[in-house]
Amino acid sequence: MKLKKEYFEDVKFFRNRASAFWAMVLILTLVSFPFLFKTYYLSILNLMALNVIVALGLNILVGNTGQISLGHAGFVAIGAYTTAFLLQVGIPFVFTLILAGLITALVGAFLGIPSLRLEGPYLAIVTLGFGLAVMVIIGRMDVFGGRMGMSIPRIKLGWTGLKYDEALYYVFLLITIFMIFFAQNILKSRIGRAFSAIRDSDIAASVIGINLSYYKTLSFAISAFFAGIAGCLWALYLQFLTPGAFTLMMSVLSLATVVLGGLGSVTGSVLGAVVMTFLNLQLDKIVDLPVIGDLISGFSNAFMNPSGIANIKWVLTGLILIAVILFEPLGINGLWIRVKRYWRLWPF
Amino acid sequence: MTFLKVKNISKSFGGVKAVQDLSFEVHKGEIYSIIGPNGAGKSTVFNCINGLYKTDSGDIYMDEQKLTNFRPEQVAAAGIARTFQNLELFSHMSTLDNLLLGRHLKMKASIFQIAALNFRKSQAAREEVEHRRKCEEIIDFLELEAYRNLPVLSLPYGVQKLVELGRALALEPKLLLLDEPAAGLNNEERQDMIFWIKDIRDELGISLVVIEHNIQLVKDISDRLLAINFGQKITEGTVDEVLDHEEVITAYLGEPETDQKMR
Amino acid sequence: MITQLLINSLVAGSIYALIALAMNLIYKASEIPNFAQGEMSMFSTYITFLLLTTFGYPFSIALTGTLLFAFLLGFIFEFLFIRRAKEPNLLGFIIITLGFQLVLFGLAGWKFGSDQRTFSLPFSETEILIRTESFVLTEHNLASIIIAIFVMAGLYILLNHTKLGLAMRASQQNVKAAKFNGIPTDRILGISFGISSVVGAIAGILVAPVATLDPTMMWDPLIKGFAAAVLGSLESLPGAVIGGLLLGLVENLFGYYVSLEFKSIVAFGIIMLVLFVRPSGLFQKHYIRKV
Ligand SMILES: Nc1ncnc2c1ncn2[C@@H]1O[C@H](COP(=O)(O)OP(=O)(O)OP(=O)(O)O)[C@@H](O)[C@H]1O
Ligand SMILES: [Mg+2]
Repeated sequence: MKLKKEYFEDVKFFRNRASAFWAMVLILTLVSFPFLFKTYYLSILNLMALNVIVALGLNILVGNTGQISLGHAGFVAIGAYTTAFLLQVGIPFVFTLILAGLITALVGAFLGIPSLRLEGPYLAIVTLGFGLAVMVIIGRMDVFGGRMGMSIPRIKLGWTGLKYDEALYYVFLLITIFMIFFAQNILKSRIGRAFSAIRDSDIAASVIGINLSYYKTLSFAISAFFAGIAGCLWALYLQFLTPGAFTLMMSVLSLATVVLGGLGSVTGSVLGAVVMTFLNLQLDKIVDLPVIGDLISGFSNAFMNPSGIANIKWVLTGLILIAVILFEPLGINGLWIRVKRYWRLWPF
Repeated sequence: MTFLKVKNISKSFGGVKAVQDLSFEVHKGEIYSIIGPNGAGKSTVFNCINGLYKTDSGDIYMDEQKLTNFRPEQVAAAGIARTFQNLELFSHMSTLDNLLLGRHLKMKASIFQIAALNFRKSQAAREEVEHRRKCEEIIDFLELEAYRNLPVLSLPYGVQKLVELGRALALEPKLLLLDEPAAGLNNEERQDMIFWIKDIRDELGISLVVIEHNIQLVKDISDRLLAINFGQKITEGTVDEVLDHEEVITAYLGEPETDQKMR
Repeated sequence: MITQLLINSLVAGSIYALIALAMNLIYKASEIPNFAQGEMSMFSTYITFLLLTTFGYPFSIALTGTLLFAFLLGFIFEFLFIRRAKEPNLLGFIIITLGFQLVLFGLAGWKFGSDQRTFSLPFSETEILIRTESFVLTEHNLASIIIAIFVMAGLYILLNHTKLGLAMRASQQNVKAAKFNGIPTDRILGISFGISSVVGAIAGILVAPVATLDPTMMWDPLIKGFAAAVLGSLESLPGAVIGGLLLGLVENLFGYYVSLEFKSIVAFGIIMLVLFVRPSGLFQKHYIRKV
């Protein structure tokens, strides 16, 4: 009576043709984007891409392994400054990218060492301190221009025959797609399962043969690797680095991204990063909205300081964060799963 | 033939001497049970064998290999698997994933090979498929087909116990430690459990050490029996010898509820 | 010189100790590390500023108003958000406190602008009380130490010699048993948040004149306070005080003898070191989960 089963079915990236179809549509849209829209929008997409990569890595650490990091800005900074340094020395971009990832991963592994012994709040504090310390140290190092910052040389993209901005956009797109696949594969493999096992029960995990030290460190390293790659792209995106770009707020927002998107899922990371980036850019324009905008600016003029109205973005982000935990702990991904169930096989 | 050898182990927590100078031996192909009142130190013995607790003194050997001071994952690699008294499952993951995790040590794909998981022919994908097949066998063996893809926290308690058993079997251990496998099960589930425990020994050839309060189950499955109290051995021997031992009876008389199960 | 170093250490240490105390009051009651705490102090300090400068009230009234506000802020935070968490787990709670941190940060920036403001207290940081060959002691120095001692004594009396304190300690030890004995544990938790917030506000007022008032003013002190709390263990109030003083001392000695530049990351180094040797701080035993 045994049903014949296709075991590879579960391993495949796309579970069915419908999702593969939609992914193709999405990728084609993104590829044709530069021909359809203005360059300004490209830079928004680039920003989203960066945040997707950070979120992917952070989610593996937080959502899957159940560890906490409040210092991811520190990793991003290390990736960015490594890139700045290597590019200035004249190392080709491809190597710079890989090195930025690997060096950051190494630092991540080192930070992972205390995590072997530490429980939740203590780890949160260590990582928080790490993020702040990185900025202090970088700000004091002359190679990195200290507090003055340093500029990033453009990478060589002339051979593509495209405008620099467009070529850079494709670089971002390619890397992001690769990182999404990578993250998904990690989570579907024995390594990803080991991470989730540690999250659910570290005792049981060790008893079935999972080396907790190794996998916690690995999780930190992988998470930092993603942040390092994102940092490399940050450097290209900003073109000029100052230590002030990587604050505690950046770490907090990265965590917010992951929680908003949905803990423990790649889709969640992607959705979270896209939505969060969008909100971040749009929230301070909230006063331009019809009814709500008038209410808010009225309130602002009466009780607050109108010049500080840009800060409303923090207030709203904070409220969204709290609301997610209170009402939808699985984040946007939780909603998405329901929608997807409904649309599963369309249009086949 | 001696298989597992526990020699003079002791373990205390602050002032509490949970296990004191305890020794016993388990033979190959045997079902060996440990009984004793609540707090006697039974689970602590497992935790020491497992490497979850570091013993204060004494040694543990399996198949001539010294396991003393091994870390839990090293003990697992040496061929010892276990279940827990109060379920330690990966509760947000599916039954299949829980079993696959039992295969962790047998899988080898590295982080670099995993990048190619999407390709059917890749090393990582072939390995994954092969081990899924193995897990399906266990799913068939324990009749877990209906729960294959459900997150285990949504399963009934009895089924969760089976999933935990299945995960331990997925390690293909030489020795299986079961901590109160029938606790919380109803009569019918308990009968099934007895059946499976015997099957595991007879069909899979795995030796077992079982901690259990339910005397009927103990009588049904055990080849030999160890009774402990206050972390010390009271007596050891065949089921009848141990259950008729005077000190065993008095130890249990202190506890009315277990006493009823005894006779 | 060594006297001066000791004075500076004591002053910094007292402030760290207050922040650590505020941290531990909540952690002991709920096992939540409150990352909003820095912003809560910052916001309360702005209230002092508002009452003092904008409304021109005398310091005593401004202080009373601030402490009242701080208490309500903590209480309401617990009531509105912490209590309503759906699947309460550590990460969820941390996120809620971070969310609240963002809200307060944004509100402060919106209301008070993000420019730095100056702030004058009855005890000035420039008025010198004692000047000798080897050290100077400012009004602010002395006030910080005295106020910190007052707060600690007050907390000690509150926790050990009042009914409220008894209830607080009972619910810290065993929530179920406390509830069973008729202690309104929810409200007690709210009050714990309130008290913690008051202690934090006092720390904020002491920090403001040295750090200048702006929405990020508590970031640095918060990590120091955290370090102090970790140093002494998150579960122990005396530990928090000792941790704070120890951190103040190490930091100042390091700043003088080794490197002033990297003084501010000593806190981080200390956290790492302590946690490496003793994962639950200096004053707490590590606990093995029973299976
Ligand atoms: N991690 C631990 N920390 C402190 N004390 C412990 C720990 N583990 C066990 N103990 C103590 O050791 C003693 C033996 O406990 P153990 O769990 O081994 O008993 P048991 O025989 O399994 O009892 P039960 O039948 O209730 O499962 C008890 O007094 C228990 O409180
Ligand atoms: Mg037990």
